[in-house]
Amino acid sequence: MKNRTVRRTVAVTAAVAALSLTAACSGGKGAPGSETPSGDGDVSSNVEGTVRVLMEGVPDTDIVEGMIGEFNEQYPNVKVQIETAVYDQMRDKYVASFTAPESSYDLAIIDNPWMGDFAKAGFLTPLDSYIESTSGYDYEDFAEPLRQINEVDGKTYGIPFYNYGLGLIYRTDLLSAAPSTLDELVAAAQENTTDTRAGIAMQPQRGYKAFEEWANFLFAAGGSIYDDEGNLSLDTPEAKEALETYIELYETAAPASSLNWAFDEALRSVSSDKAAMMVSYNWMLPTLNADDSPAGDLAGKFALATMPGGKQVLGSWSWAIPSNSETDDADWAFISWLTSADGEKQRVEAGGAPVRQSVLTDPQVAAQGFGADYYATVGDILANSAPLCQGANCDEMIQAVGTELSAAVSGQKSVADALSAAQEQATRIQSS
Amino acid sequence: MSVRIRMMLPLVVVLAAVVGYPLAYSFYLSLTDYKITSRGDVAFRGLEQYDNALNDPDYVQALLTTGTFVVSAVVLELAIGMLLALALQQQRWVRNLSRSFLLAPMFITPIAVGLMFRFLLNSQLGAIPSLLNGLGVSMDFFGSGTALWTIVAIDVWQWTPFMMLMLLAGLEGLPKQPFEAARVDGASALFTFRKVTIPLLRPVIVVAVLIRSLDALKVFEYVYATTRGGPGTETQTIQYLIYNTGITFFRLASASAMAYLLLAAVVVLAVLLFARIRRGGVL
Repeated sequence: MKNRTVRRTVAVTAAVAALSLTAACSGGKGAPGSETPSGDGDVSSNVEGTVRVLMEGVPDTDIVEGMIGEFNEQYPNVKVQIETAVYDQMRDKYVASFTAPESSYDLAIIDNPWMGDFAKAGFLTPLDSYIESTSGYDYEDFAEPLRQINEVDGKTYGIPFYNYGLGLIYRTDLLSAAPSTLDELVAAAQENTTDTRAGIAMQPQRGYKAFEEWANFLFAAGGSIYDDEGNLSLDTPEAKEALETYIELYETAAPASSLNWAFDEALRSVSSDKAAMMVSYNWMLPTLNADDSPAGDLAGKFALATMPGGKQVLGSWSWAIPSNSETDDADWAFISWLTSADGEKQRVEAGGAPVRQSVLTDPQVAAQGFGADYYATVGDILANSAPLCQGANCDEMIQAVGTELSAAVSGQKSVADALSAAQEQATRIQSS
Repeated sequence: MSVRIRMMLPLVVVLAAVVGYPLAYSFYLSLTDYKITSRGDVAFRGLEQYDNALNDPDYVQALLTTGTFVVSAVVLELAIGMLLALALQQQRWVRNLSRSFLLAPMFITPIAVGLMFRFLLNSQLGAIPSLLNGLGVSMDFFGSGTALWTIVAIDVWQWTPFMMLMLLAGLEGLPKQPFEAARVDGASALFTFRKVTIPLLRPVIVVAVLIRSLDALKVFEYVYATTRGGPGTETQTIQYLIYNTGITFFRLASASAMAYLLLAAVVVLAVLLFARIRRGGVL
């Protein structure tokens, strides 16, 4: 931010020079479009600039890409360029861009474990003044747990874009109702385990996956990842009960040889009639029930429920403006347009994962989208959920805890040893 | 400046830029508490990162896992490579065809090999588990107790041809007389192999094992593509741990210290080995 005045001077000089040479100079870095961020949320419709965005190569990105044309009707001088990458590459690309003297991206989507580190490192621009001054934006409409993920040291660094709330996906032709307690879940999974079908496809892969799945069990057992004072509470009787149940479930009702399974494998198992349930992202349900479902003839037989106990793990992607972006106003014009109640409605109707309460209860969305029941369940999921990690060094903390859990599931460590090691390591990692 | 020194200058400059600078910079990093996300305030910490690494059970465990991997992979590659080389040496027909066929795995990039085996061995999609299921055998290739051996097997699949190539070249370069003498004396094939072939081939074996071991120490791609170090920490090799620490967790200082400790261990081992070989007149 400090260099902005200098850069502006350089930019203006360069712009004059460039204009005198050619009239066909387009917007972007160092071009006439770059300007000092106003912090004013109501961005003028003649703002100029090229907004370069890096996004994950998933269907939701296609939906956003498809909306750019309509955005340009309102902001004709903002060019939005979306580059896609696979998840594994995204964080590295972002860090490289954030630490470089010249950014490669003007707008970023941030996975929730990255938020604390990126905000504290000064990589992101606080958005509070933009949020407050945008007319009719209704920021409070975003689900509260999603908003909390983006608050670091009292400032807001991101706007919720996409939710990764977990839920229980089960086959309605095999189970009459979703289990509402951990014991019921274990019983239902065991009852539905046959020679050809497992009761539940699990994701005990070391690291993120094991932790993500187990934490739902922890919530169901009455535990939490952090206690009321914000200290880690992974070595508690509730955590022990949760891990023992998780291991029992894995040993008695999960597919054989699935110790290294993650999202893809579990999905494949459920969609090929090899498992009756799975803990997965809520937006997998429309995919499974769609006409061109990976599950083929099983489409329509899947239902989504909140996790037993009612509380679940939340993940999210949020829009953020990198500190070294030079098109802040144009960036905000795009984010605020896309995440406004109207933009969100349009995106969700096209199949995007909802983040606003008003959209979840909108009858038109229910009719156009995947039905009122589905959105009501997603609303319940978003209302009572918590992320895996808050604060510093989240990626490392999640990996450490997930490694201990995986060691316990594979029998290398006892439940007690794994949990005390998880507690000790996570505390050390988050405080260093 | 003599011509000799001037002729060397370009090399020295290039080496200083592409090897010297990164080495020196990472050594400097290893003495600080540098983290990618806190670039502003870097504090000098002396040897603290080295102390931390040596007292870190994960680091020691990763060293042991890597050691197990290197020893088992290289021993298997040497044994199988030797058998293949001996067989190829005897071959009279379509020699070039079978040689190029056997060398093929070496030319595939390791990350592709890792991904290929991840799918071949996948319990849902993989051809190998499916074949085994047909025989009534159910096996989790990436499960507890088997994952490390699966990665060893992948390495053996890819790098045995290298061993074979080196040994075959060695075998074909051996003098004929000792073998003829052994035959005249009526020595058995096994006896000839033990008492004539192996001693004569020793320099080649030593060099091949050394090169392959140093290369196997760098194992990363197979782990990244298949198990990501799991289950638990069973397949967490030293390179994967350093990658995780430095790139995933941003702790470049700590990762640099880990890498330097490994470098020091490898250099000491290599120097000792070479000194021994030279004394023994092998090289």
